[in-house]
Amino acid sequence: MTALNAALASLDQIILGKSHPVRLALACLLARGHLLIEDVPGVGKTTLAHALAQVLGLDWRRVQFTSDLLPADILGVSVFDRASQEFNFRKGPIFTQLLLADEVNRASPKTQSALLEAMEERQVSADGTTHHLPAPFFVVATQNPDEQIGTFRLPESQLDRFLMRISLGYPDHAHERELLAQGDRRDLLPGLAASLTPTAIIAQQASVRNIHLSAALLDYVQAMLRETRERADLRLGLSPRAGQGLIRAAQAWALLSGRDAVLPDDVQAVFAAVAGHRLERRDGMSLAAGSSLADDIVQAVPVPV
Amino acid sequence: MTQPWLRMPSRWSRTLGAEQIAATAAIAVLLLGVALHATSLPVWTLVAVLGCAVWRFLAVLNVVPLPGTSRTIRVAFLFATTLALLAVLASFRTLNGLAAGTALLSMMGALKLLETRTPRDERVVVGVALFLLLAACLADQSLTRTPFYLLHAWVSCAALALIAQRSSSVTPRVALRLAGRALLAAVPVAIVFFLFFPRVAGQFWALPTGGTATTGLSDEMTPGSIDRLIEHYEPAFRVRFESAVPPPAARYWRGPVLTSFDGYTWRRSRFAQYRDAPIERLGTPVRQRITLEPHHRQWWFALDTVAATPRQDVFLTGDHQLVSLEPVDETVSYTVESHLQTRATEPLSTLGRRLLTALPGSRNPRSRRFAAELRATVTDERAFVSAMLEYFRTQGFQYSLEPPRTSADSVDDFLFDSKLGFCGHFASAFATVMRAGGVPARVVTGYLGGEWNPIGSYLIVRQSDAHAWTEVWLDGAGWTRVDPTGVVEPERLNRGLIDLLPNALSAQTRFLHRSPWLARMLMSWDNVNHWWRESMVEFDFRQQLTLLQKMGLGATGWRGLAMLLAAGFIIWLLWIAYSLRHLMIRSRPDRLAQIWQSFCAHAAPLAGPRLAHETALAFAARVRSARPDLANSALDIAQHYSRLRYGQSAIEPTTSQRALQELDRAVREFAVELTRQPA
Repeated sequence: MTALNAALASLDQIILGKSHPVRLALACLLARGHLLIEDVPGVGKTTLAHALAQVLGLDWRRVQFTSDLLPADILGVSVFDRASQEFNFRKGPIFTQLLLADEVNRASPKTQSALLEAMEERQVSADGTTHHLPAPFFVVATQNPDEQIGTFRLPESQLDRFLMRISLGYPDHAHERELLAQGDRRDLLPGLAASLTPTAIIAQQASVRNIHLSAALLDYVQAMLRETRERADLRLGLSPRAGQGLIRAAQAWALLSGRDAVLPDDVQAVFAAVAGHRLERRDGMSLAAGSSLADDIVQAVPVPV
Repeated sequence: MTQPWLRMPSRWSRTLGAEQIAATAAIAVLLLGVALHATSLPVWTLVAVLGCAVWRFLAVLNVVPLPGTSRTIRVAFLFATTLALLAVLASFRTLNGLAAGTALLSMMGALKLLETRTPRDERVVVGVALFLLLAACLADQSLTRTPFYLLHAWVSCAALALIAQRSSSVTPRVALRLAGRALLAAVPVAIVFFLFFPRVAGQFWALPTGGTATTGLSDEMTPGSIDRLIEHYEPAFRVRFESAVPPPAARYWRGPVLTSFDGYTWRRSRFAQYRDAPIERLGTPVRQRITLEPHHRQWWFALDTVAATPRQDVFLTGDHQLVSLEPVDETVSYTVESHLQTRATEPLSTLGRRLLTALPGSRNPRSRRFAAELRATVTDERAFVSAMLEYFRTQGFQYSLEPPRTSADSVDDFLFDSKLGFCGHFASAFATVMRAGGVPARVVTGYLGGEWNPIGSYLIVRQSDAHAWTEVWLDGAGWTRVDPTGVVEPERLNRGLIDLLPNALSAQTRFLHRSPWLARMLMSWDNVNHWWRESMVEFDFRQQLTLLQKMGLGATGWRGLAMLLAAGFIIWLLWIAYSLRHLMIRSRPDRLAQIWQSFCAHAAPLAGPRLAHETALAFAARVRSARPDLANSALDIAQHYSRLRYGQSAIEPTTSQRALQELDRAVREFAVELTRQPA
């Protein structure tokens, strides 16, 4: 528990004034989910990914997605070795513990889908051989919501592979002043001590599953799912898989809050991040208005007494 | 581009916020409510309401501000309200009654628009609009207006939904769908209420409707009065026969009986000064159900000689007319039995004979002389009647709608000079000559004939069927109807006026009658309308009882009906509660919930009530910010509660029993602590 708190404290030193999104990012990792950061450039997406890797003691790689990126550029390629007379699989950048997929919506759907499939399966199949990805494996993808030309919007089925979608947003006045005064945050990264190890993270991920789920809480989550399905303004409600994700994320949040049972507070804290990108409004205003819609749903569902 | 009017609201909903849409809905509903009264409201009211609505709408669009809440503006509102009150008073000379009340309500609603800031204000405006709808229903219940009433109810309910939800998820279209569904769901309740809500007998619901132009027979007749009625094509009443239909020539609908004559005007004597001779009713009675249109007089009409009064507040006078206590201001339906043949069993009283042969001494000298000479040539009264009718037939009298004006000696002018007249002239002259010849006579006004509606199988009697005839007393027979018009124009008895004197009717009516197809359409429309009146608007207590009897519940009375209705209503509410049970997360709060709710109740005065979606910890945090000195206990209680509700310990009943007691004690201590003032 203390290790997690120490990790959070270190992250908050690097990413100033964004403790809620940072906490969500860590919860997403603990819940064995992948993270989509949707934001304009320059608010610290890369820094967050880098800092996460550093603090959690993970090795990480970054892939800048472009329209001519091929699946093999990420997954790896089989090369014929003249000496041994056989094909050798050369692992791509995805074989890392934390992958930062920058501007994931710039790649062609084919490449996107190769990445997302690997994310889901946590393995890569090439030439009939299955290569397992390292554990833990965590993808942080970013996309810029404002740029639309030359991008391929992730379809709903792909968005579903991300447990959470968050955005960092601009810092507030005081924190921005601190940023301006102190210069590049990435310079601080090398001095950052790792608070966790990969094995410790795997242990924490296991303990997330043991966070208690009471009947009252499951009632509450079901009421929320029902609300998303019964609302007139939603084209599609949350799927059972999304419900499972919501519960896992709430469990991770409860763990981060030092609790051994999930409270409705935990569900409310992660709901916008988990549900926002999975809900589509009827008149097509999905993405930008998603988060306020999630708040609407939270406010519409009474907490069990 | 299908149904662009339906699509428009959703386009607005993208440009206008939920608050703006709610305000716009309130404006629209009020405007619709006022529009229902557009024909009866004074023009200044309409202009004022429209002005306020435009102002409010511009304020919605943020073009102009709303009037503020400063003292000056509040005084200005008071002034405007007083002004509206005075203006209504000036327009209607009263604040009482439906029309004035409607104008006042419209003005108040419009002024209220200018101070709608909260959802509550908007609800008030919608309430005013619904009251306007109620007033419209009281004022006019005709079938043609019913769709507008339904539309208004629909839009009002949708506006209430918009005002209550104020969320971008409830667009006008969603709200309309919601309201439509709710109204459809209310239809069974409405039907049950319609059928079983106890109708209070009498005019309990009726409001004074104020000055309405009167069309119909009055209690006096001058030589031109009936002619003026002929132009009116609207129905006077409709008749459904419950026995054999009498032939056209026998369809004399008796109305006011006029007995006193001043030489020019026949009047109904206000007092029954003589006792009419008792009569014997002959033949089988004709049973009729009559639906009488409002004519703002006290007469009720019926075929020939009525047997008995249909209602307690309607009297059958000595000369066999039905007179009600109240004027007929709204449609009434009644069933009566009439006899086409009667015979007096006793002679006419001396007083009666004297009154009914009385003539003003100085008027119509030529007619009196003529009557005396004619009477001398015949032996008995019957021959005298025949001789007079023969005189009409042979002396070139003509039936005409445009008789020349007469002097005060109207009968003399008609009998000897113009010889041109309408039914009134003939009846008046005949009765005068009869009286001058010593035969008791009276003029009866009413309607003759009527138009048969083959689609609905009923008779429409119109104002244009108005007629006047005479009744003379013949010894041995009693009162005998004599219609001198029938002698001059025998066809009048069998055919409507439209065939005889087409020029009497307006060009529009003639046009409608020329095309059989149009005439058939008219009849169908009249039939639907009549059905609406008879079975919807006029559905009264009597019909309710008939319905109950048909259902085998004949023994229930007024009280039984009320109890039945109340029971039905309770069952309906229970059904609603049952179907909404899933909204209750826990139907009966357990001990833990009771303790927690008592904490929430204790803390509510500090931080306001706990919101439905607010978690225990969030509520405790709110309590903390309100009373920092009580912080820890509130937070402890919330954590303790959360642990018991959501934690693993909730599984073990024995420990949680002890934990519940602890929590209960903590809440009690908190409550005690609350009573201490903050340091």
